[in-house]
Amino acid sequence: MKKQHRDQHDEDLTINGNGVSRRAFMGYLSGALAAGTLLGPTRAWGQNGGKTALLRVGANANPSSLDPATGGSGSDHVFLYPLYDTLVTWDFETLKAEPGLAESWQFTDPKTLVLTIKQGVLFHDGTALDAQAVKTNLDRNRSAEYSNIRADLASVEAITVSGEHQVTLTLKNPDTALPLILSDRAGMMVSPAALEKHGGRVDRNPVGAGFMRFGNWADGSEVVLNAVKDYHGDNRPALDGIEFKVITDSATRLRAVMSGQADLAYHLDGRQKPLVEKMPTLSGAISSTIYVYQLYMNMARKPMDDVRVRQAINYAIDRQAFIRATMAGAGEPAYMNLPESHWAFDKDTAGLYPYDPEKAKALLAEAGYPDGIELDLRGYNDQSSVQMQEVLLAQFAKAGIRGRFRTGTIADMSAAYFGQQKTGDMLLSAWTGRPDPSLSYSLMYTEDAYFNAGSVAPPEGFNDALLASRSSDDLEERKTALAQVQRLVMENALVAPLAFRQSIVASNDRVSGYQNNLLGKPKFNGVSLKG
Amino acid sequence: MATAVKANRVKQKMVASRLLQALPILILATFIVFSLMQLIPGDVAVTLAGENASAERIAQIREAYGLNQPFLAQYGDWLWRAAQGDLGASLLSGEPVAQTIARTFPNTLLIAVYAVLLSVLVGVPLGILAATRSGSPLDSGIMGAASLGVAVPNFWFGMILVLYLALTFKWFPATGFVSPREDFSAALWYATLPALALCTNGIAEVARQLRSSLVEIQSSQHVRTLHAKGLSPARILWKHGLKNVSVNLLTVVGLLFNKILAATVVVEAVFAIPGIGSSIVNAVLQGDFPVVQGAVLAMVVTVILVNLFTDLACTALDPRINEL
Repeated sequence: MKKQHRDQHDEDLTINGNGVSRRAFMGYLSGALAAGTLLGPTRAWGQNGGKTALLRVGANANPSSLDPATGGSGSDHVFLYPLYDTLVTWDFETLKAEPGLAESWQFTDPKTLVLTIKQGVLFHDGTALDAQAVKTNLDRNRSAEYSNIRADLASVEAITVSGEHQVTLTLKNPDTALPLILSDRAGMMVSPAALEKHGGRVDRNPVGAGFMRFGNWADGSEVVLNAVKDYHGDNRPALDGIEFKVITDSATRLRAVMSGQADLAYHLDGRQKPLVEKMPTLSGAISSTIYVYQLYMNMARKPMDDVRVRQAINYAIDRQAFIRATMAGAGEPAYMNLPESHWAFDKDTAGLYPYDPEKAKALLAEAGYPDGIELDLRGYNDQSSVQMQEVLLAQFAKAGIRGRFRTGTIADMSAAYFGQQKTGDMLLSAWTGRPDPSLSYSLMYTEDAYFNAGSVAPPEGFNDALLASRSSDDLEERKTALAQVQRLVMENALVAPLAFRQSIVASNDRVSGYQNNLLGKPKFNGVSLKG
Repeated sequence: MATAVKANRVKQKMVASRLLQALPILILATFIVFSLMQLIPGDVAVTLAGENASAERIAQIREAYGLNQPFLAQYGDWLWRAAQGDLGASLLSGEPVAQTIARTFPNTLLIAVYAVLLSVLVGVPLGILAATRSGSPLDSGIMGAASLGVAVPNFWFGMILVLYLALTFKWFPATGFVSPREDFSAALWYATLPALALCTNGIAEVARQLRSSLVEIQSSQHVRTLHAKGLSPARILWKHGLKNVSVNLLTVVGLLFNKILAATVVVEAVFAIPGIGSSIVNAVLQGDFPVVQGAVLAMVVTVILVNLFTDLACTALDPRINEL
């Protein structure tokens, strides 16, 4: 009986099917309410009537926009990936660049990038995805008034169509980060015809060349996508469609999977990890992402201007204990800005700061603070941030670092710390990561970077190493240069990384083939549904 | 005949004056909400500009959306458009606010009405039982349970319902919703757990109020006279007791509806229902003021209409109210 109920609910049984017990229930109900006449003609029970392989996904947020250029939230990507193919893609585990709509690319010299576009690809509306379409998109992304991603393509000087399926990007300065930038919003191709039709932006009328076409979007409720039958690529999931249900509360999102209203839920909380692992009906995908919790440092202020103080702070943090206490164990300790599985991870740098409160004390004494230091700390006021602050304060106390966190909303505290006011010595926040690591480093540590609150010049050699990492497109050379960048950052303790967040995804036993990625933004390539 | 005409006129006058009174209430409510939106932290321009946006980009967006205008100018602009029937569109997603309301409000109304009906259908018999056996163990039992019902937070009770009725027995879906316009019976099925979670307080309130008014009537002199005349207790209860408490009951139900409407905000989050309450919460968090304003307007209008309807029904039940 139980089983039958669940099936009625999971599958979309029509009234002609075996929905007896529910109808019996409804009959009782209608009698009880004396509202029998209200029960109109009945169609399918679920909303997904008639579809066989519809993946129902519990999403954590309503998209800010379905136009890749105008949206602003990191949670949009999950909706955008199925709709729009990107020029470049990445390896799920290491984030190494891989061919996408651009079947190959080449830096003919450090300031010229030539993309060869795959032939025969059509947008969902039948428009050809050729070199001209790519140029239209890239020009829009880097210069349109409403584009939120102009900064991503700031190094591009000009874009020319150099063949029917070839686009040449002329750069202002060497920038080998571009291929991976083109794996993100900037590389999502929108149909030029659709752009023209909808006045230059397609926030609610997305037309791309991905394996799903747009069906419907009801704000804060659902986004429905339908499979494209003649999709050009081979990474297409065996699905007839994807139905995203927006469920902001993570406990409710997981319940939706447990009780059968959804097949898969992502962005679950660390404290739900044990449940996901132990429930026999659930399968979990749990892995690190490049999203890192960290303490930003304002190096223009005393005592933060002393490298020994900043190193002492890094030695004073017990990252393993921090993760156990604040993230229910669902994290990877962060000793640098990249997690272990990333292609540019540097093992030597990661070993610089083992937990050592005694060493921290000694460094403080050496810096002229034998009695410890008092810091003006800033953070956010949500529950999990406050918990992290408490744990850090307790760990700091053992090394003679005292202070108090002043808290507020993310927007207010970030603006006060990084903006004009420059308040506070350290800010407990996070870095969401960038597809290419060189972007993260330049956005956080260069002298004029917004996220370098003190606007202090980076250590000697940093700029050269960063430039070197962007001048070569040989992966090993880039890795060496980025290792140098990262070593300089950590030796000079420009930041105190704490932990990488894990991506926790739960699915029921119908879903197979789902794989997490290091970016932490789920892609449904290769997913299929059983029976 | 003359009195009927007079009563009708009084009624028309009352409806007209009530609707006129509603106008300043609407303006005041939307103005207060708009002011509060300015006070709470969070900036929709920051959200719109995307992650780690530059200050320049944020300023551009303020300009483009008119967010740099003075507060009163923004409110005036909104009011002027609203008066012409244009509630604007969400700043974030661009969905027209009227469409958001049309899509989400029926869901909320369905749960609220469902919960009120359950409250009455269960609360009234319980109240009668307790009143007719006043002082008995059954009475104490019902009233004890009612005290508990008033005290239990509905989101907690909602979780308990989900745990047993949805996750363990799988009788009802744990989350989600079907639009009543799409499939009414499925909508009722999905709305049952949320309505159950919402109606505990309602049942308790209805039962308690009904019991106390009934007990009061039962001990009044005219009921004693009726007993003396030899009427059966059942007849006294149905014909005289309940008729006398009906105005009281109706007022309770009207208030209850408004209370339940407010409580849907929390219950919608627990059950992932795309109702108007969750739209308000999300819009407030992101500073999306056109959505907040429009949704609040819709709720205020509903509350005013429910109050008006309650008053009209009360005058119909008790003609003395007209003469006041």
